[in-house]
Amino acid sequence: MKELLVSLLGKPEGIVLFQLIMAARFTVLLSLLAFVGGGLVGAIICAFRVSPSSLLQRVGGAYVWLFQSTPLLMLLFIIGLGLPKFTGLEVNPWTAAGLALTLYASAYLAEVWRGAIAAIPAGQWEAGRALGLNFLRTLRLVIVPQAVRGALAPTVGFMVQIIKGTSLAYIIGFHDLMSVGKRWANASVPGTEAFLIYPLLALFYFALCFPLSSYSRWLEGRLGSAARSPAAA
Amino acid sequence: MEFRFFEIYRNAEYLLLLAKGALLSGGITVLAATFGLIIAFAIAGVRFARVPVLTQLTATYVEFIRNTPLIVQLFFIAFGLPLLLGYEWPFWAHALLSLSINFSGYFSEILRAGLESSDSGQREAARALGLRPRPIFFLVITPVAIATMFASLNSQFIFLFLTTGIISEIGVADLTQAGLYIDSRTFRTFEVFLVLTAIYIGISMLFKAVLALVERRLFPWKFVR
Repeated sequence: MKELLVSLLGKPEGIVLFQLIMAARFTVLLSLLAFVGGGLVGAIICAFRVSPSSLLQRVGGAYVWLFQSTPLLMLLFIIGLGLPKFTGLEVNPWTAAGLALTLYASAYLAEVWRGAIAAIPAGQWEAGRALGLNFLRTLRLVIVPQAVRGALAPTVGFMVQIIKGTSLAYIIGFHDLMSVGKRWANASVPGTEAFLIYPLLALFYFALCFPLSSYSRWLEGRLGSAARSPAAA
Repeated sequence: MEFRFFEIYRNAEYLLLLAKGALLSGGITVLAATFGLIIAFAIAGVRFARVPVLTQLTATYVEFIRNTPLIVQLFFIAFGLPLLLGYEWPFWAHALLSLSINFSGYFSEILRAGLESSDSGQREAARALGLRPRPIFFLVITPVAIATMFASLNSQFIFLFLTTGIISEIGVADLTQAGLYIDSRTFRTFEVFLVLTAIYIGISMLFKAVLALVERRLFPWKFVR
C-alpha cells in the first residue's frame, strides 16, 4: 500500500498518508479499549447509583462527580507521568492512555445510563420485586432491556467524545494520528506544512466521528433519547 | 513513595504562578465563551430562520467543529493559518480565537434546540399583539429559549472549561502551563497534577456558583413557588 500511495501521490504526500492510515488504527484501537473499559466500569458504577443501598449510591455519585470534574488532560498527566514517577513502576503509554480514558468514559457512560434507567417507570421495579426477583435480577431482566432503547443514541454519541479524547494521548507518548501528524507538521519538509497537515488530520478525525454522530442522531429520531450525552473537546 | 506537597505550597514563586495561571485559564474561558455565544447565537438564528445557503454553510461549520478534536483545531489556527497567511499573533490570541470557534459549535446546537422548542402559541400571541417578525424573534422567542436552555449552557460551559488546559500546548501561560513549569523544577509530577486537578475543580465550582446567581438574577420567575 505504501508503494501504491507514493506512486500515486509522490513524496512526501504518499508517505504521510500511509503513516496516517497506519496510525489511525491505533486511534481506533485506543477508542475501542476506552469504550469497552469505560462501559464495564460505567455499568458497575451505574448499578451502584440505582441500587437500594444508600452507601453504594453515594460511592457511585462521588465517583461520577470526581471523574466528570477532572479534566481528561489531568488524568493523562497523573496516570501517564505522575504515577510512574511516584511509584517507580513502569507504565507504558497503552496502559496509561487506556486507563485515563476508561476512567473518563466510565463516569459519563454511568451518568448517561442512569438517566436512561431513571426514565423507566417505578412500577417496573415494583413488578420485579413482586415477582420475587432481587435487585440485580430485576435490573438485568426487567429494567435494562427497556432502558437500552433510550440509552442507545446518547451512548453512540459519547463514542465521538472518546475518539476526540484520544487525540490528547500523544502528550504521554502514545503513537496515534495526532502524534504522527504533529511530527510531520514540525518537520521542515515541503508539502507537510502545518496548514496542510492539520486539515488532513481533521479530515481523518471527521471521517471517524461524523458517521457515529449521524448514526446517533438517526437513532435519537427513531428511538428517542432518555439522556443527553455531553459534548466537547 | 511519600507525598511532598510542601515543595509546591512552600514556594511563593510557584503559588504566584498557579494563581496567575488560574486567572488566565478562567479569564480566557469567560472571554471565549462570550465570543462563542455571540457566534453561536448568529448561527442558531440563521438556522432557525432557514436562511438559504447560510443554513447549509453554518450547519457544515458546526458539524466540522463538533466532529474534530479541539487540539487539531488549535494547532491549525496557531501554526497553520499564520504560516499560510503570514501574520504573527501572541499565543493567547490564537488560543482565544480557537476556543471561541470551538465553543460556538457546541453552544449553537443548544441555542438552536432552544429556539426550535419555542411555543408556537407564544409567537402567534406576539403577532396578534402587532409585533413585527424581528421584535418577535429578539424579544419573545430568544429570551424564552435562553431561559429554557440556561442549565444546558451552564453545564456545557463547565465542560468546555475543563478542556482549556490544551492551550498550554501552544505555550499559553495558563494553569496547566504553570503546573508543567513547577513539575519541571520540582519533579513532583504526581503531586503537581493532583494540585492542578483540585484547582480546576475549585474553579468549576466557583463558576457554577456564579452562574446560579446569574440565573436567579436573569430569570427570577423560575424560582417563584
